[in-house]
Order: sequence, then C-alpha cells, then structure tokens
Amino acid sequence: MKFCEVIGLSKIEVQNLTVDYTEKNNRFTALKDVTFSVESGEFVSIIGSSGCGKSTLLSILEGINSPTQGNILIDGKPISGTGTDRGVVFQHYSLFPWMTARKNVAFGVKQVKKDLPQSERLKIADEFLDKVGLENFKNKYPSQLSGGMQQRVAIARALAMDTDILLMDEPFGAIDAKNRTVLQELLLKLWEGDGTQEKKTVVFVTHDIDEAILLSDRIVMMSASPGRVYREISVPFARPRNRSELVQTEEYSKFRNKLLSLFYSDIADKIGGSEVVL
Amino acid sequence: MTLRKRFLRAANLLFIVLLAIQFLPDRISKEPKTGYVIWFAIGAEALVLIASALIRKPQSLNLFLDIAGFLFGFLIIWTLATAKFNLLKETLFPAPGRVFAQFIEDIDKILINIRSSLGIILQGFIMASAIAIPLGLFLGWSARIGSAATYISKFLSAIPPIVYIPYGIALLPSFRSVSVFVIFIATFWPVLASTMSGVLNVERKVIDSAKVLNVGRLSMLFSIILPAALPQIFIGLNQGLTVSFILLTSAEMIGARDGLGYYVKQYSDFGDYTRAIVGILVIGIVVIAISFLFNKLQRHLLRWKK
Repeated sequence: MKFCEVIGLSKIEVQNLTVDYTEKNNRFTALKDVTFSVESGEFVSIIGSSGCGKSTLLSILEGINSPTQGNILIDGKPISGTGTDRGVVFQHYSLFPWMTARKNVAFGVKQVKKDLPQSERLKIADEFLDKVGLENFKNKYPSQLSGGMQQRVAIARALAMDTDILLMDEPFGAIDAKNRTVLQELLLKLWEGDGTQEKKTVVFVTHDIDEAILLSDRIVMMSASPGRVYREISVPFARPRNRSELVQTEEYSKFRNKLLSLFYSDIADKIGGSEVVL
Repeated sequence: MTLRKRFLRAANLLFIVLLAIQFLPDRISKEPKTGYVIWFAIGAEALVLIASALIRKPQSLNLFLDIAGFLFGFLIIWTLATAKFNLLKETLFPAPGRVFAQFIEDIDKILINIRSSLGIILQGFIMASAIAIPLGLFLGWSARIGSAATYISKFLSAIPPIVYIPYGIALLPSFRSVSVFVIFIATFWPVLASTMSGVLNVERKVIDSAKVLNVGRLSMLFSIILPAALPQIFIGLNQGLTVSFILLTSAEMIGARDGLGYYVKQYSDFGDYTRAIVGILVIGIVVIAISFLFNKLQRHLLRWKK
C-alpha cells in the first residue's frame, strides 16, 4: 500500500486551485477554487463547454503552468513543474516533426529510462507502435501521417514511457468522427488491458459527452467564467465496455440525457435562467 | 516514355549542328583549336545519351536535356560569332576552342586557385556557423528574454561586410586572414540573426511537448530547439554562403596572390582575356557545385518537412 493511500489521500488531489490571468490590464479568473481527486487506476474525464478552463486545469496538472493559489498533490506530494510521472497527449503537436514515429516514441522512453541503450529503447518503441496498429509506419515522419495516426503515435509514446498517470487534452478533438470512434476503442482496449497489469490513472479532457461516458469511471463537469467544478458524476456501466452494445441500452440514453440536461442547465444558469434554444 | 520520345530531342539535334559547323572554314588569325570543342561536345553528348537511357522521371530528364540544349546552343552561337564569322573583337572574345585549350593547359594552376579560395571560404564559413548557431540558440532561448541581442545583431548584420576589408588589411597580418575574417563576419551575422529568429518562432506547443517529457536543458537546446529552428537557420546559412563568394572573389581582386578572383583580375590586367574567361567560367562552375552540394545537405537535414 502506498503512503498516500495509508493517510487517506487519492493518487491525484487537486486542492482549491485558482488561476488568475492578466491580459491587457484586465484581470480575469480562469479557475476558481477547483477541488477534486482521482483514485489510483481511475479514468476521469473533465468535460465542459469551451472557455470553462478545462485545458488550463490540465496544463497545471502537466506542470506547464502554475496556479495562483492552491495545490496539486500526486502520491501525497505537491507537484512543482513537469515530471516523468505523468505522460501527456495533446490535441496537436505532441510529436516532434523531425523525428520518425519510432524515434518520437524512443525519445519519450529515453526521458524516463536514461540508462537503457538506444537499441532497447527502439525495441520498446516498436512494441508500442505495434500495439497501436502502426507496424507499417514506424519510419514515417509525422508530416507523412494522418492526424489519427499522429495521435496513435502520441498515445504509443505516452504508454511506452510507462508512467502511472496519463493526461490527455482533447486528444481526439481534431479527428474526424469515424476515426475518432476507432481511436476511442483503441484507447479503451489499451487502458483496460487484459486485467493482469495495474491500470493507469487517466485524466482526460473532452467536450464530447459520448466520449466521456464510453471511456470514464467518473466525469467531472465544469462550468465557465470562472471555471469551477459543477458536478461530479460516476459512470455506472460495467467494464469491459463495448460501444455498440452500450449505446443501444436504455440506461445509456437515460444517463446521457441526464448529463445533457445538467450540461444545459448550467448554461441556462449562466444566461440568467432564460429560455435556451437548442 | 517511348524510345523515340527519349532520344529525338532538341539537345541531340543541336549537338549535330554544333558538330557540323566546326567544319566551316575559320576566319580568325589565331589558331581556333577546333578539336577541343569537338571533344567537349562529344563528351557532353555522351552524358546526354546516358542520361536519356537512365533517368526515369520525365521532369528530371527534361530539365537535364534542356540544360544540355542551352549549352549546345550557346556553343553554336559562340563558335559562329568568333571562329567562323569573326563578328566580335578577337582579343576580347576568344573562340571556344581556345578557352577549352587554355583551361586544360592551366588546370594545375586552376586547381591550386580553387583550393585556395575554397579553403578560405570553408574556414570562415564553418567557424562563423560553429559559433553563431550555438550562440543564437542560447541567446534566442534566453530571449524569449533579450530583445536587445536581436536589435544589436540586426544592426550589425546590416553593415555590408565588404567595408571591413580595408580596416582588416590594416589590422591583420596576411591577406588570407583578412579574407577569412571578412567571410566570418559575412556569415556570422545572418546566421546568428536567423538562428535567433528561428528559436523565437518555434511553436510554443513543440516546447510544451518537450517540457512535459521533462527534457534537460542541453537536450532542450540541441535535440528540440535546434532541429525546430533549422529551417530558418538554413536561410541565414544560404545568405552567408552567397555573400561569402561575392566577397572573397572581390577581395581576391584587391589584394591576393592566389585564388580564383586573383586569376581573373591578373590576366585581365595583362589583356589575356582567354584566361579571364576561363576564370569566370570556373568560378561559375565552382559556385554551382557548392550550392548543389549545400542544397543536398539542406534537403537531407530537412527531409522531415513536407
């Protein structure tokens, strides 16, 4: 049992996070008093309309930005800056365009396993590129790959680094609908694994409700200006999940409608409770 | 492509015309040395035939054949205007055969001059790049801090490096060191400026990606920032190389004892325009060869770009 579990802390503790920006002498609050936690091995999605600060929140978890107030604890220790305990997948530009797919993954592995010889790193890279179905594209440069393939490489890199935590910032947001479902299922399969390995702790930012339901154990819904946690909802569906079966069930429609109404009631609150035209 | 299309080309036709006009009577007083033109033409035509048989891509083949066609056309006009009809002043416009003959006669001297010029250029250019690129990376990276460095390098790079030559001659012990110094300056500022602006223009997202991988400081500079800025760095390198050739040949005309510029200047002064033309052609060929190689290097290093 880990130290943080002993003293009753979760894997990730986000505590009273507040972020203020000053832009052209206007001060505005991107996040206000955001508090939630993520258990070890839990898949949590953060959803909210654009401008609710969900990406700001993730950038603080990544360690790229720092909060004005508040703390993030990982394994009980406050984070300062970036760290190799967290693997990250962005929506764009996760990959370095001058490295082939293989080199990109191996470069990630190098950052966490400095002592490993390059040949071993490349072997790990090959293994994970196989897992995401890119056997035949290992020596391609990102510019030679489609957007979906680039995200597969980024996922392969994050997984190959074998960090406890995966942070994903709308990773499929720029992918066409058909490929997005393929990638969601791939991620689900890789994360659920065969049940023998320990699951990664995932924080996944999205604005797609179906994506959030399919993938997550729990959904943190945020509201905008300033960004706050609006609701936390557990997703009641058993794993392993199968999209085509799941979406046909009545429970799924009910749950989805509940989420949607919560989502829109937040917006209705924002515009003073007046009529919302959908 | 059919055989007919491959071989029935303007270049081949022009070759036959070039060959045929060699047998017209000569009208100049000096020996026209027609044999050299014939051998040169045959050599070039042999290359054309090999290329026609081997080059697959129609565009590349067309390009090659067009260039060969121009070359043959130019030689036809040159031969007719000099050796065959004597339309131009003979001392100023020697017949092509005389130029080829002179080239072969002087080949040892020319090679020494090429080596001298290239040695100076490479020394100045490589030293300047080796200092300017790391310095630019460092300054650019901390200037996502120091705009002062940007302005200073912009100001200094605006001074045409040729104005340093007289001062350099007073300052430095040998002509060679002056040339290296001037080429160093000519390369240093554009490379520094382009490296810094390359660093400043690296996508924020690329840097974030590196940061979340927790790369170290050195690794950030040389594995991430350097390759990301490389396309812009090459703009500065290209500029430096072009200016270096202009400067060196000019400088060699002012004060050198060897080098290609010296060769052209010295023989022009003596009224030996055959050799002056040889020198000019050789400079042209050397510059083209260097740019070609440099381009290859650039394309190889930037092969990841679309």
